Amino acid sequence: MNKFLTLIKSGILVTLRFRLGVFVTIIGNLIYLIIVYFLWRSIYLSSGNNVLNGMTFEDTMIYLVLASSMFTLLESYLTWRMHEDIQSGKIILDLIKPMGYQLYKSLGLIGEMLFKLVTTLLPTFIVVYFLSNFHIQLGINLIFFFLSMIIGIVISLCIDFLVGTICLYTQSIWGVNMIKEVLVLLLSGAVIPLNFFPQPLKNITMYLPFQAIYNAPLQQLLNTELSIYTRFSSMGIQLIWLVALLLICKVFWWKSLRIITVNGG
Amino acid sequence: MNRIIEFENITKEFKILNRREGLKGSIKDLVSKNYSVIRAVNDISLSIGKGEIVGYLGPNGAGKSTTIKMMTGVLEPTSGTIAVNGKIPYKNRCQNARNIGVVFGQRTQLWWALPMIESLKILKDIYQVSDEAYKSQLALYESIINVKPLYNKTVREMSLGQRTLCDILAAFLHNPSVIFLDEPTIGLDVSMKSKIRHLIKELNARQKTTVILTTHDIGDVDALCERIIIIDKGSMIYDDTAGNLKKYFGAYRTLKLKIKGEYILSDIIQALELRFLNQTSMVVRTSEEWISILSKEDEAPIMEILMFMQGFILINDIKIEEINTEDIIKKIYEGNI
Amino acid sequence: MMKQGFRYYLKIYGKILVQNIKSKMSYRADFFISLIGIIFVNLSGFITFWIIFKNVPSLLNWSYYEMLFLYGFSLIALTPVQCFFDNNWNLLTYVFSGDFIKYCFKPLNLFFYYISEIFDIKGIGQLVVGITVLSYSWTNLGLDFSLIILVKLIIALVSASLFMISITNFAAASSFYILNSAYFVMMLSNKFKDYAKYPITIFGGALRIIFTFIIPIAFMAYYPSLAFLSNKEATFLTYFTPVYGITFFYLSYKFWMFGAMKYNGTGS
Repeated sequence: MNKFLTLIKSGILVTLRFRLGVFVTIIGNLIYLIIVYFLWRSIYLSSGNNVLNGMTFEDTMIYLVLASSMFTLLESYLTWRMHEDIQSGKIILDLIKPMGYQLYKSLGLIGEMLFKLVTTLLPTFIVVYFLSNFHIQLGINLIFFFLSMIIGIVISLCIDFLVGTICLYTQSIWGVNMIKEVLVLLLSGAVIPLNFFPQPLKNITMYLPFQAIYNAPLQQLLNTELSIYTRFSSMGIQLIWLVALLLICKVFWWKSLRIITVNGG
Repeated sequence: MNRIIEFENITKEFKILNRREGLKGSIKDLVSKNYSVIRAVNDISLSIGKGEIVGYLGPNGAGKSTTIKMMTGVLEPTSGTIAVNGKIPYKNRCQNARNIGVVFGQRTQLWWALPMIESLKILKDIYQVSDEAYKSQLALYESIINVKPLYNKTVREMSLGQRTLCDILAAFLHNPSVIFLDEPTIGLDVSMKSKIRHLIKELNARQKTTVILTTHDIGDVDALCERIIIIDKGSMIYDDTAGNLKKYFGAYRTLKLKIKGEYILSDIIQALELRFLNQTSMVVRTSEEWISILSKEDEAPIMEILMFMQGFILINDIKIEEINTEDIIKKIYEGNI
Repeated sequence: MMKQGFRYYLKIYGKILVQNIKSKMSYRADFFISLIGIIFVNLSGFITFWIIFKNVPSLLNWSYYEMLFLYGFSLIALTPVQCFFDNNWNLLTYVFSGDFIKYCFKPLNLFFYYISEIFDIKGIGQLVVGITVLSYSWTNLGLDFSLIILVKLIIALVSASLFMISITNFAAASSFYILNSAYFVMMLSNKFKDYAKYPITIFGGALRIIFTFIIPIAFMAYYPSLAFLSNKEATFLTYFTPVYGITFFYLSYKFWMFGAMKYNGTGS
């Protein structure tokens, strides 16, 4: 267990050195949130209703603010890092380590994520909690949110790994990454809460793994009307996706290793 | 002889902003300035003629690149007059740039993603080289080195040596009157180095292009330069022929000894120091199994050193060498003239 | 600036451009995937509007098609900065490593030579989506079309495009002045690009003034669009767009060049 901790710690140290980067992310998020605030204010003003699809303006804003800081958390740049490792040949060193490459990379990333959890998500949560006049319920839902978010993080990492592996074949990092980013952000409900989606589209998203990243944990946290049964079944679906993606990841990676040993060696 | 570059009492001072840390610091820097003045080039006068190859040497930060920036018109001197081809370079950078070529060791000036020949064609248009001149220039290149296989390679695909080669060819394309080469052989292997030296020498001979070469590689100097200018801490400390430099230091020789058995270098140095107390300029080094002792004949004759060493060391083999340029320059830097 | 004359520069730019496109085409897979990537990005904006308007009939008196008009207009106006001025993004690296000096030895205008080096071909994908969305909304709004309107539209688009170019110039050139924090300035300035597609009226009063005069985002689509939408009143600022755009670009160019000279002068 000790070597795992060392790796996680190294991830945190790397991130600390890029404090400016964190600063940029926070201000960047604020700029994004300004437009989100004004856009949704005008949507609610134009609709003439206080409640749209079961959500008040306040609900929507809390949802979107938290989603934006979760995005910061989940941004792993994994594809680019894998590409770098392959280009520089460093991957060969990583491959002979007594631990799978994927696990090795993930541990470093988890260290960074813990750092971002403390520097972005937690402060955002506290600010939102006070600004919304304690609108967020603090109870059993926090535990569900936390567990669900962890599953979401691993799912997101799996998708990043898959995309990184696809890039071994396409050699086009930017394009593939963009396609992934757009699909994840839109279909996970990170940009617009899934409640606002037209029903047929919403149904489709429920059969895709993306909603497990943003929508599922945020619903656990914010939707006070969820029954215990719904909570567990939502997490069950997350777990099914998690297992499926982990398997696909592993198999696809093993199938693709040959490419690295041929090209990157 | 035609004067290509004239420097008269050139001095360049920089106001250096003492930067503060962080974003807050940067914003403070914008408002309140905290400068200190540094004299990078101090009262240099020189004159370089047509067709010369000048080795421009000096330790890092001596003011070499500042001088070159002034010659290329990027920088304006603080005081003094400067002329390149009879014109003042900083008054019209673009016009000056038409008459010069620049190669910066590892920073290619070719288009990264384009085949080399396409880069040359673009440069032909930029410098407005006529079709005939362009063709004859390529013919000249092909007669000196085997460049054709590189034409369709992109810079991205080239090795560092090939890239430098192409950069040099590109710099000569418009037949400029002066070329600045900044460490052209840095990081290259021996055969590539000699290839590049050959190329520079040939182009200089055939086109009478003035070449100003900054380098840390003494092999470049020995192979190419007739004249050497040495600059240190902004001031010129040597400007004469490479031959004179050696003549001046002719009294120096290097004794090389191959020793039997294991000895500790510091012990040998100590013994030598005790024996030759008056000796100030002696330098002792080891490389592989050779010990080399550089000394000045009138202070410590080689024969005396040899005899002294024989007294306590078993010597397998000896060599005596004339001083090389590298040692001379090192001595000048150290101020032991 | 152009002592060599406009034709000389145009010829050289054309030559570099053709070569750049050729070389991009030789990495065909990367080219197509990048193109699909940027089309995805821009379509996602379209889908966002589509979903929003499934929930509300209009957004502060802007109809679905009017919003799409704005969106399409902004995509086209943001294409030049994407395609032609992408090298601005590398400026910080060049300044940081000292490699910037290599641009100073050619007998060309420094800004021109630096910017001409990179052509980002995937911007074409954005242009295609932009034109499609604009034409789609144009037809659905039943707007008139004639040669004069087309000329007006092109003038409006070109002037609008100058604003993001200028903002990028300012942000990139900040590398010359505040090296340590230029990364910050660049990242943030790019975020404002997302603002262009919304009518300025959705913002509060103070922000409206900022986005009109200080960071002129409202000129990237909103003000010039008013001249074409039959339901909207064009204001003085609409017709001011070309003048303001040229002035703003000129200032950013001067800021860039002055920074470059200042940077070279520090002997870094």
